Amino acid sequence: MITVWGRTSSVNVMKVLWLLDELGIPFERIEAGGAFGRTRDPDYAAMNPNATVPTLVMPNGYSLWESNSILRYLCRTQAGGNALYPEAPEARADVERWMDWTLASMNEPMRVLFWTFVRTPEAERDMDAVAKALVAGGRLWRTVEEVALADRPFLAPSGFSIADIALGGFLHRWFALPIERPDLPRLRAWYERLLLRPAYRTHVAVPMT
Amino acid sequence: MLKVWGRTSSSNVMKVLWLCEELGIAHERADAGGAFGVTREPFYLAMNPNAKVPTIEDGEGFSLWESNSICRYLANSRAPGHAIYPAAPKPRALVERWMDWQLSALGGPMTVVFFTHVRTPERDRDMAATAKARDEAEGLWRMVENQLGSGPYVCGEALSLADIALGPYLHRWFALPISRGELPALRRWYDRLLERHAGFRTHVAVPLS
Repeated sequence: MITVWGRTSSVNVMKVLWLLDELGIPFERIEAGGAFGRTRDPDYAAMNPNATVPTLVMPNGYSLWESNSILRYLCRTQAGGNALYPEAPEARADVERWMDWTLASMNEPMRVLFWTFVRTPEAERDMDAVAKALVAGGRLWRTVEEVALADRPFLAPSGFSIADIALGGFLHRWFALPIERPDLPRLRAWYERLLLRPAYRTHVAVPMT
Repeated sequence: MLKVWGRTSSSNVMKVLWLCEELGIAHERADAGGAFGVTREPFYLAMNPNAKVPTIEDGEGFSLWESNSICRYLANSRAPGHAIYPAAPKPRALVERWMDWQLSALGGPMTVVFFTHVRTPERDRDMAATAKARDEAEGLWRMVENQLGSGPYVCGEALSLADIALGPYLHRWFALPISRGELPALRRWYDRLLERHAGFRTHVAVPLS
């Protein structure tokens, strides 16, 4: 059976659990990261020298880390994965760009907002950093509203894909955090569309910890 | 003909230009970004709402942004099956992981160190922040050092998109006026790229600006 190492509260672990459920693949999960530790133990470091979660271990012992790379690998090797990661170069690039953009642009402001409100005591919060992250995050979500969702229900023209899975974790946090948000109706509709998927509700749209 | 938008001093533009040279992809380039501006003009925003470089235009109506996505697209569309982006799932996942890691892990600290030393006037530099970023970057380069134990390139015997994604930061690491720990495999890899890859010499290993 496939094993996923990583605590369920990690936005990157969420991506992998969500995809496995979308594909109907059974898996077992082992706690690691955050309060669970483990990621700096020698056996874990041998699988994942980055000491992050998640790490995926296939039934034959092959292991992989970096959550977006795991999504790609699962789609390329598991039944049903093609539909979420189209093969034609242009269609695939339309998925890839939002995945890379999540890492390159969205990660940082969303990390600041999440850590401030969920994992930092109120007295220690840096509200200047929050204000900047809100501006940056708001601008990025507006890009999703005006570009990706302008004329289609999901991020890529090919339909629901691992681009939605890569960005969907931050999307839930954006709507669940106690922040002021610009009015972005297509973004809200996309969130509600994802909430219709049982695997999103189970693994991603959960209370933040 | 493929058109690449972006100033040559951008590490992300460098990736695309180097890959074009490795694969012999004919292209034209137009300056944009930094002092050249252009990226906030309506026609550019229509191609790339992030207002960043690079952007490519490929034939009628297809444009793409995010440098790692562009590299994947060019390999998929121009050289399917080429060792630079191997087709088999495991070798490909190895390449993907280091590409994603460049965005998710290495990009942050390397950007701080580069901007401090190259694009910030001396009196405005935050030397505490850059020292911390340098330490973090060295820890990350040590992961690449260990990975290089298995072959001449990041993912083994052949140059891959992982080398191309990491290469601009590698050059900066050795060209910036900073202290560097002993990482002999990293140095050998850098020397190999300089010696054997004209595209690296021409587009990447250039004076920092």
